[in-house]
Amino acid sequence: MVATVLRLRYRILGNVLMRNPWQLVGFVLGALWAAGMLVLVVPLLFLLGGTGLEITRSVIVIAGGVLTLGWVVAPILIGGIDTSVDAGRLAPFPFTTTQIMVAVTAVGLLGVGGIATLLGGLATFAAWVRWPVAAAAAVVCVPLGVLVCVVASRLVAAFAGRGGGRRLGEVLGMVFLGALVLTGPIIIGILNLLGGTQDLGARVTAIAEVASWTPIAAAWAVPGDLASGHPLAALAKLGIVLVTLAALWFVWHRTLAAAAVAPVRSAARAVRAGSLGWFGRVPTGATGATLARALMYWLHDPRYLRNLAMAPLLPVAFAFAGGGIEGGPFLFSAVISAAILSLVPYGDVSYDGTAFAGVLATGIRGRSDRAGRMLAAAIVGVPLITGIAVVTAGIAGRWDALPAVLGAALGVLLIGHGLCAVTSAVLIFPVPESGDNMFKRVPGSQVLSGFAFFGLLLATVILALPGLVTAIVALVRPDPALGWVALAIGLVVGAAVFVGGVFVGGHVFDRNAPVLMQRIRSLKGV
Amino acid sequence: MVSDAFPAEASAPEPVIPEQAPALQLVRLLKRFGQKAAVDDLSLTVPSGSFYGLVGPNGAGKTTTLSMATGLLRPDLGSAFVHGVDVWQQPVRAKAMIGNLSDGVRLFDRLTGEQLVVYTGMMFGLPREEVVARTADLLQLMDLTASAGTPVADYSAGMTKKIALACALVHAPRLLVLDEPFESVDPVSAANIEDVLRSYTRSGGTVIVSSHSMDLVQRMCDHVAIISAGRVVTAGTVDEVRAGESLQDRFLQLVGGRHHSEGPQWLRQS
Repeated sequence: MVATVLRLRYRILGNVLMRNPWQLVGFVLGALWAAGMLVLVVPLLFLLGGTGLEITRSVIVIAGGVLTLGWVVAPILIGGIDTSVDAGRLAPFPFTTTQIMVAVTAVGLLGVGGIATLLGGLATFAAWVRWPVAAAAAVVCVPLGVLVCVVASRLVAAFAGRGGGRRLGEVLGMVFLGALVLTGPIIIGILNLLGGTQDLGARVTAIAEVASWTPIAAAWAVPGDLASGHPLAALAKLGIVLVTLAALWFVWHRTLAAAAVAPVRSAARAVRAGSLGWFGRVPTGATGATLARALMYWLHDPRYLRNLAMAPLLPVAFAFAGGGIEGGPFLFSAVISAAILSLVPYGDVSYDGTAFAGVLATGIRGRSDRAGRMLAAAIVGVPLITGIAVVTAGIAGRWDALPAVLGAALGVLLIGHGLCAVTSAVLIFPVPESGDNMFKRVPGSQVLSGFAFFGLLLATVILALPGLVTAIVALVRPDPALGWVALAIGLVVGAAVFVGGVFVGGHVFDRNAPVLMQRIRSLKGV
Repeated sequence: MVSDAFPAEASAPEPVIPEQAPALQLVRLLKRFGQKAAVDDLSLTVPSGSFYGLVGPNGAGKTTTLSMATGLLRPDLGSAFVHGVDVWQQPVRAKAMIGNLSDGVRLFDRLTGEQLVVYTGMMFGLPREEVVARTADLLQLMDLTASAGTPVADYSAGMTKKIALACALVHAPRLLVLDEPFESVDPVSAANIEDVLRSYTRSGGTVIVSSHSMDLVQRMCDHVAIISAGRVVTAGTVDEVRAGESLQDRFLQLVGGRHHSEGPQWLRQS
């Protein structure tokens, strides 16, 4: 049964990749990257073993913990879990819940991520080779550790995607995202807290000691404990691993069983009839209608919302990582937030999915479509970025810096939107569909969209250079008058690129819109 | 009930034909997907004021043809004219005359049903008061008034079909292109919609429906075209095409592929 499901999963993957050459390229690049990392990791681990037992233990425990956390939360950030074979799709077949869980776990283990994790885990042998007892324990503990990763991630997916209902899933996704963004800063904060007088090595050891007693890292601690002559601690940690696995399995089983008898029908959160939302506030016409529609999606669709949620968290991250609220990075964080937020709609039509047919059927002019979409992005982005700039300036007590920061940030935001007006008339990439499990991953999509994103980021920065340089000079000197100049430059250049982008993008859209539709259809396999 | 949503119902049975050009004229359309020609040199003329049925087996190219006719899919060769306007030369003018219900595409389903219809009306530049009034009419017509404030994502398949149909009607188009409009729609709503479409064609509007239901096409349509393997097998008035037989029998004769068997042995229960 498991073999059949596995064959099915690889067949689906193969078919998807064969149909979409660019996804294939992305997939191959991703696989090569994973292989490259592995090739790098084995000699590093071997060298690590040479530095002594204490450091080896700590590093492997922390790496294992990070790996587990990555499996649970990172998919949200980079776009999810492969759901081509999941419990919901296997439900019509005569399998018991346990059989389905075994099959789904096997699929997770033998996917690209699972194989890479397993090989990475096995690579710890290179480090343990000097301590035979640890290496022997790793034979048991590495598979257990990887199993915890896979089962935990599937549980999260099942919980968020199906068991909890659509809206609950979306809320959970956002909570996880927030936790993830703050994980780094919190760890660094703990490091600082523990730190003070101790050196870095001692602090890392202290963290590893704490982490090794938690479910996320216990499996990776057992070999080291045995090697250093703590069999009781090793036994206790092995117990933690087994209890963790059992608990995860039990909760997952219950979630799936509940989902099977009560399939997800989200309780409709209906609004009063006659409540038109943004449609009641914008002027009629194609631009207004598009603007209102795009705003509803920006404010209600988790695919957009998770980008909005990132923006205000960045300054927090900078405060922790970048030397506190006095540091330059914190003061300038609104600009970084703006850069990331500005490029969210760079393939905006992809998010429409086949609903784009409805746009195309109205014969909308490209200019109106572009203007509607980008104005919506700006209506959300400008207040958010302004708010971040004001709050960070206030916290840092640098009101004098506000005009310069605001000029740089708003300039970047509008320039990014202007570029997106053009790129989104050309680019279609695979994204989860509206209302889909937001943990869903589309194979091979991240690498290419990542390239496009960084290219675009570079272009934005280059176009924003006049404003950015003026702002930085104004901050460094410091020269408040120059700050106002930076604000003017940012707004003028930003507005010019925005309007130019809408016109150029509109022209491209007029020619290209039916092609976009065809690409969307071919991605969806319609 | 639906006073504002449609051109005033003509009392005279004679269709009002404002110009000589047919409502839809397809000229030698060709579309290839890879090696396979989905639509192969297809020509078709839909007279103004007609209720035109498009039937054919699965994969015959009905949806592809309608997509090319409405400006959603660029043909490799050939052209399409709506009331004499070339769809691919003047898409904005042509699309303003078309009301389109596509099969197998999503809607912007985070909007409520009411918002979706209002949105569509606004896309065509109708004044807001007008859109709101028409939306109320259409929701009543589709029996969706009670679900007006529910997100379309939470609609059933039939309700989704009906709200999509409401969107196609809201700007009072001269030509309605409906791909599988009655699929999963309940019989009561289907009968109501049928009445409205009939009075719409009597007042001079043109309807093209694609369907797999021969009975429905025979009952509702005055013209029909049978499409198979991307070509028109036959086209004309329903009476011409069925030539004294039922449309179902005629369709099976012309398209072929009917099996006469009791199914495989293992499927029989006794």
